[in-house]
Amino acid sequence: MANDPSGNDRAIQTVVIVGGGNAGWITAARIAARNGGDMPSAVQVILIESSTVPTIGVGEGTWPTMRNTLAKIGISETAFIRASDAAFKQGAKFVGWTDGSPQDAYYHPLNPPVGATELNLSPHWEMLKGNLGRSFADSVDFQGALCDAGLAPKAITAPEYAGVANYAYHLDAGKFTDLLRDFSVQELDVRHIVDDVVDVRMAENGDIDRLRLASGAEIQGDLFVDCSGFAALLIGGVYQIPFRKCGHILFADRALAMQVPYEDEAASITCHTVATAQDAGWIWDIGLWARRGTGYVYSSAHVSDDEAEATLRRYVGPAAEALSARRIPINSGHRESFWHRNCVAVGLSAGFLEPLEASALMLIETAVDVIADRLPRTRAAMDMIGRQFNAAFTHHWDRIIEFLKLHYVLTKRTDSAFWRDNVAAESIPDSLRERLLLWREHPPAPQDFSHAPEVFSWPSYQYILHGMGFETRYAGLARVNREAAAAQRWLKKVEAIREEALRKLPVHRELVGKIREYGLQVV
Amino acid sequence: MSRVVPINAARHGSLRVLPQADGANRRFALLGKSELALAAADFPLCLAKDAETGRFNLIALFSLIEARNLFWQGAAWHATYLPRSAATAPFLLDPAGVCGLAIDEGSAAIATAGTPLFLERDQPSDYLIDTQRLLNEVVDDVAQAQAMVDCFVTHRLVRPLTLIFREEEGREQELAGLYTIGDEALRSLGDEAVLDLHHSDWLGPAAIISASLAQIERLRQLHNATSERQLVSYALKVEE
Repeated sequence: MANDPSGNDRAIQTVVIVGGGNAGWITAARIAARNGGDMPSAVQVILIESSTVPTIGVGEGTWPTMRNTLAKIGISETAFIRASDAAFKQGAKFVGWTDGSPQDAYYHPLNPPVGATELNLSPHWEMLKGNLGRSFADSVDFQGALCDAGLAPKAITAPEYAGVANYAYHLDAGKFTDLLRDFSVQELDVRHIVDDVVDVRMAENGDIDRLRLASGAEIQGDLFVDCSGFAALLIGGVYQIPFRKCGHILFADRALAMQVPYEDEAASITCHTVATAQDAGWIWDIGLWARRGTGYVYSSAHVSDDEAEATLRRYVGPAAEALSARRIPINSGHRESFWHRNCVAVGLSAGFLEPLEASALMLIETAVDVIADRLPRTRAAMDMIGRQFNAAFTHHWDRIIEFLKLHYVLTKRTDSAFWRDNVAAESIPDSLRERLLLWREHPPAPQDFSHAPEVFSWPSYQYILHGMGFETRYAGLARVNREAAAAQRWLKKVEAIREEALRKLPVHRELVGKIREYGLQVV
Repeated sequence: MSRVVPINAARHGSLRVLPQADGANRRFALLGKSELALAAADFPLCLAKDAETGRFNLIALFSLIEARNLFWQGAAWHATYLPRSAATAPFLLDPAGVCGLAIDEGSAAIATAGTPLFLERDQPSDYLIDTQRLLNEVVDDVAQAQAMVDCFVTHRLVRPLTLIFREEEGREQELAGLYTIGDEALRSLGDEAVLDLHHSDWLGPAAIISASLAQIERLRQLHNATSERQLVSYALKVEE
């Protein structure tokens, strides 16, 4: 092997990233933080950012995974919150998805149900729900109460990245990119080139050898990460990897985004994403430090652009008069494979889905977890890692599409064609239909999911199923299993934790203000 | 219940204060930089987060698992040193008050047998004037301690401290929310950081804070002498 003529034993020394949006900079920062440095074996990271292609920047909601990602990069939570105008996010509230009645709303909190490592509370809740008088989410967890009360998931005395309740963030995507770029260049020695890729030179074996830039410079690399967004310069442009559309499952194909200022400086900051169902889609509403972000995600087959804009403006209210809306295309789907030869696609070049469960940034992080933490040491190792990557992400995309569809198929709304079409049999993937049959009799459980870690795990499915009043027949399971006493204990515990959390946790805006003023401590 | 109001002659003209008489339930006191060595002769010195800002304060610890001052016995302090922030209670600085002071009207130090705040014709007493001077010194001194602690934080020396007390019959009681200087972190400081701390005269204090944890044993003994709940032993856990 030492003298392998194919060059397969050549060490991976240079990673070239094409694209300077969130995907590009998260990738650059993570790889450099993990594999860079002063050692002789350190990897050099180069990021080429076009001067002419604007970034999309709609990923303004994260998952809790972002805490880990930032910590691994080495950015302090205080610096991140200040620079990105970030606020906390404790889950999503889905309004009007089930029947559209005025009281129709449920939470998908970020906390798992209590006792989730010990037992499955779902059947017990079904048996006891008459007495409990609380929704599933409020019976098995306390986070919905925090959201309702506008309270933060932690106090100013909590260390960075730690909290009483699980949390993620809402952030300003443009400012976040700036932070990542500055940190990558200044602290992690990422080489930043602002130039346009005009040509791709291939090696004899079919790998990408180097990129030629408009300035005439040539950039050679061992691994190329395609973060070029919808353009998909390498994975699509060079390798022609087919794009698998899923618009027949998830109908939304457009979004209209509007940034809304707060009424005043003391206005409360909502600590969860609000997703409100509309005639032909849904409107997101997220709270940042300095403004709200809203947007209508809709199906152009079910509503015209003008009508959609009118709907968004109606939702925002009088404040919308002075505001403009930005159109974003949603071409739902993903590549058939993501890692091809010495090229891997991360971000929009890999695929895009409506932001219903904030999967965009999470998918970038999950991809980079593999690429940075198991950066192939040699070209020989790359093919196998690439195959593993492709298998994992084909699985992830399928599961995410199904999970998003789950929010639609459980609707009882029949008031518009959009909702009626969403329950049409031909729009529902077979695997989801099978799971729904199973989940009528058995609650979603770890055994239902083959991949570890699964991006949406069984508790998320339970929150959606029960939140939308999916008819289940679990009560018998609760009677025959021997966990009834433990279940009662856990459900009682939720009451106690909720009471304490409501008493002790600060108002969301107050906490973010304090973090901006005093900072959080590392320990 | 504390009720802090700016001092004014009309409201507080006849008020008297018995200095230090509010010690019974005091669990800790803020320390100034200059008090460190003196306080370490009596108390464990720790860092604790300010509930309002989350920033670290340097404190002398007076209590363990019960909300009472273990150095307070028979209605008096039993310690060789009294931190000045405890000695100046129940007064706080407040520019809106007479002599730039406010008072906690809920304090147990307010007593008819005490020293008057005002003389005749609403003139502030020497006691009030001295207190203002002392409080200003305390505030400066505490600010210096805070600057030092901020520097410890920057050098990643501050570590979470958990005290685990074993009671009779093996029950355990945990005291969390305190922080100390990590020995290991202190030992592995780089040359530049050591010099930086030394030149600020903060290296010695870091060692004193860490060593003062031996006083936990003294608190345990004081506790056992005055409580039915006997603490058989304790363990210190520092997350290095």
